[in-house]
Amino acid sequence: MNIKWKHVSFAVLGASLLAVTSACTEEMETELEEEMDDGVTEDEGSAESDTEDDADDGDEAEEAGAIQIGVVGPMTGGFAAYGEKVEKGVELALSEVDHTFNGNEITTVVEDSQADAEQLMTRLDSLRDRNEVDIVIGPSTGDEGEAAASWAQNNEDTLIMPGYSAPEDMTMRDASDNLLRAGWTGSQTIFHFGKYVAEEMGHERIVMVGQDYAYPWDQAAGFKRGFFENGGEEVHTIWHPTDTLEFSAIMGELQGMADEYDAVLLNSGGADAIAFYEAWEQYGMDESYPQMLGGTNVADIPILEEVSDNFEGVYSSMHYSESLDHEENVEFRENYAEMHGEEADGIALQGYDTMRVILDALEETDGDTSDTAALSEAIRDMEVGDSPRGAFTFDEYGHAVQDIYIKRVDLVDGELQNEVVETYEEVSQFGPYEDYQDEYMAQPGNERDFPADTAEEYFEDLEEYFGEEYMNELEEGGIWE
Amino acid sequence: MNQAVKWVFYLIVLLFLAAIPFLMSDFFTTMTTRVMYFSLMAISFAFLAGQVGLISLAVPAFLGVAGYTIAILETREILFFPYSAIAALGMVLVAAAIFGIFVNRSQGIYFLMLTLILGQIVWAVALQWASVTNGSNGLIGITRPEVMQFTVAGQEVGFYYILLLTVLLVTFGVLALTRSSFGMKLKGIRESESRMIMLGYPVMRMKWIAFMISAFIAGLSGIFLVYYIGVMHPSAIDLDSAAMVLIAVIFGGIYSIVGAIIGMGIVQTFEIFLSAFTSRYMIIIALMFLFVVMYAPKGIMGSIYKIKFMDALYQKWYTGRKKR
Repeated sequence: MNIKWKHVSFAVLGASLLAVTSACTEEMETELEEEMDDGVTEDEGSAESDTEDDADDGDEAEEAGAIQIGVVGPMTGGFAAYGEKVEKGVELALSEVDHTFNGNEITTVVEDSQADAEQLMTRLDSLRDRNEVDIVIGPSTGDEGEAAASWAQNNEDTLIMPGYSAPEDMTMRDASDNLLRAGWTGSQTIFHFGKYVAEEMGHERIVMVGQDYAYPWDQAAGFKRGFFENGGEEVHTIWHPTDTLEFSAIMGELQGMADEYDAVLLNSGGADAIAFYEAWEQYGMDESYPQMLGGTNVADIPILEEVSDNFEGVYSSMHYSESLDHEENVEFRENYAEMHGEEADGIALQGYDTMRVILDALEETDGDTSDTAALSEAIRDMEVGDSPRGAFTFDEYGHAVQDIYIKRVDLVDGELQNEVVETYEEVSQFGPYEDYQDEYMAQPGNERDFPADTAEEYFEDLEEYFGEEYMNELEEGGIWE
Repeated sequence: MNQAVKWVFYLIVLLFLAAIPFLMSDFFTTMTTRVMYFSLMAISFAFLAGQVGLISLAVPAFLGVAGYTIAILETREILFFPYSAIAALGMVLVAAAIFGIFVNRSQGIYFLMLTLILGQIVWAVALQWASVTNGSNGLIGITRPEVMQFTVAGQEVGFYYILLLTVLLVTFGVLALTRSSFGMKLKGIRESESRMIMLGYPVMRMKWIAFMISAFIAGLSGIFLVYYIGVMHPSAIDLDSAAMVLIAVIFGGIYSIVGAIIGMGIVQTFEIFLSAFTSRYMIIIALMFLFVVMYAPKGIMGSIYKIKFMDALYQKWYTGRKKR
């Protein structure tokens, strides 16, 4: 009896194990097929001819002509807004074309990367193997950016377009042909803000308070370069850990050195920035520092909705401003608000633009998603003229070259809004170093204490990495014209 | 007869695992690989928790030490496989030896807190020491060594087989260890530390060695993780990872090595499968976890051991007693 039991239990265990595993794989396949079948409504003939060269028998998706696009980014947790807003932007772009391309349905598969590099790799693998997507939009935070660049290098037949990730190396030192970014880098948006603060606003010594991780370091680096090279003296940096909500100590420190410094630059984002401004008001810091400056994410719409009206007058810079009054932007904001019931911002814009760039590229390849090289080629040659942010193109590394707006927060009809006060046109990810790309990339990556905090040390480093020639050109004023 | 059944069962499982890259889709293979390297971390955790009764939240930290050692050595082109892997394991052992001195003076909740702090220190160093670890950008560009890239019948199975072999060796090694006299002494410490001290055993040293063994296994998992995904990032060793291991092992049954593997398999599989349908999959996992803790506090393996034959095995392997 005993032995019988054992046999039975083992048999049941083994059988169920096999059943479960085989069921899992079958399920996935049938599901995929079903989804594909939905896509085949008309135009079957043209769809088949589109994918003739695709001999891969696993690619039922493409035989049916339907297009699947993976969207990956943090959809849960503290960074969820970054992933979700990109997805909402993508949805808006797709709804404009009724989720179809040449009569074939376009579907999205959303994966949650939890802002975790290791998770992101798994999700990307899932999208590739399980859903067999050829185009991925994402990821959306800085933490995941470099991991995505690494994945892109190893998966050359998948086109990957980051959502809101801003690490510059993704399209610089670790660039690959199949990773293209219709977005921004931490430094790109702020190079000229440094120049503006030094030249137009006349500040010489700045205190910068920022979160202690890679994205604010990039921002600090870009700002310092623009600031020092145009007459700034010192940027005193105070770094605090991410998710700091108690700023009393920092307020005390700031008050203590109010005599030495002209303005405070808040190099932060999200809840930290809101908490900082609350403390700022409580301590009456406006008296010590009449001028507050912001990093790219500080004057973002979700933050403007939270802070008091005294936030008026904060300067910042970005590649988008909600107050741009050309038709595309007005339309984009209206449609977005109607579809999702919230205000559009830079994050949503980037999802929207990225999806539209992909759609335009599909026009070029007649809906063929399998030829990544052709898609990449089409995007690189593209001149996007109808984006809500203004016109932009792509550089040889696959990163957007776009206008950078210096913005001031103004109170318009009782609501805080970013007004554009100055536009710097066609800024690439190298900013003013367009002609010195190799030198720029040869220097070490941005860090909390590189570039240096004072102009003196900064120019020593600058001469070391960029050489005599650059210094001469800088002196003649040829760099920042 | 028992023996024969056991071996037949092992053989079937082994054959199935070995055949996965050929039978199943790439997706399934990728997921199995992922489950396996995380299983090593779960084994490392379950060994300490089940055998010595110490809940260590520093397990991902050792994964991090190994992973970062390899990542730093290889991206800076200082050492390459196999020397980088040896160096990584060496670093893990050194780190574990030092950590062990501190944490082994404590028990229970204090041990948990100390390991939590040590884990967080390693994480913070990885995040902040950007000139070495590249901070929150993470280190990328670590390629799989050529030894791990051989193909069989056109399928690239090198990495999978080496990982499978390691997991099997570690599993059986740890199971054997739990039955050895050293394992028995560890169980003695778990049951009553003061009595073991009174009997004259070097309890401190034995706990220290057990801690090093656990760290070594976690280090192995770090090596495979970094070679598999090619990226080393602080998020792999943050508090979430420690919680993930803890949850997975409780799912499977904290007193069981096999349970740790099964639990990790379940958690990972659910994460991947459910996330394809809803982005609120964490709620479902949490509910399952709640039910497991309420109705099967010894986890899935605890339920399985309620079967008489399995219970005999359980008694033999885990409590060191033979029930008659």
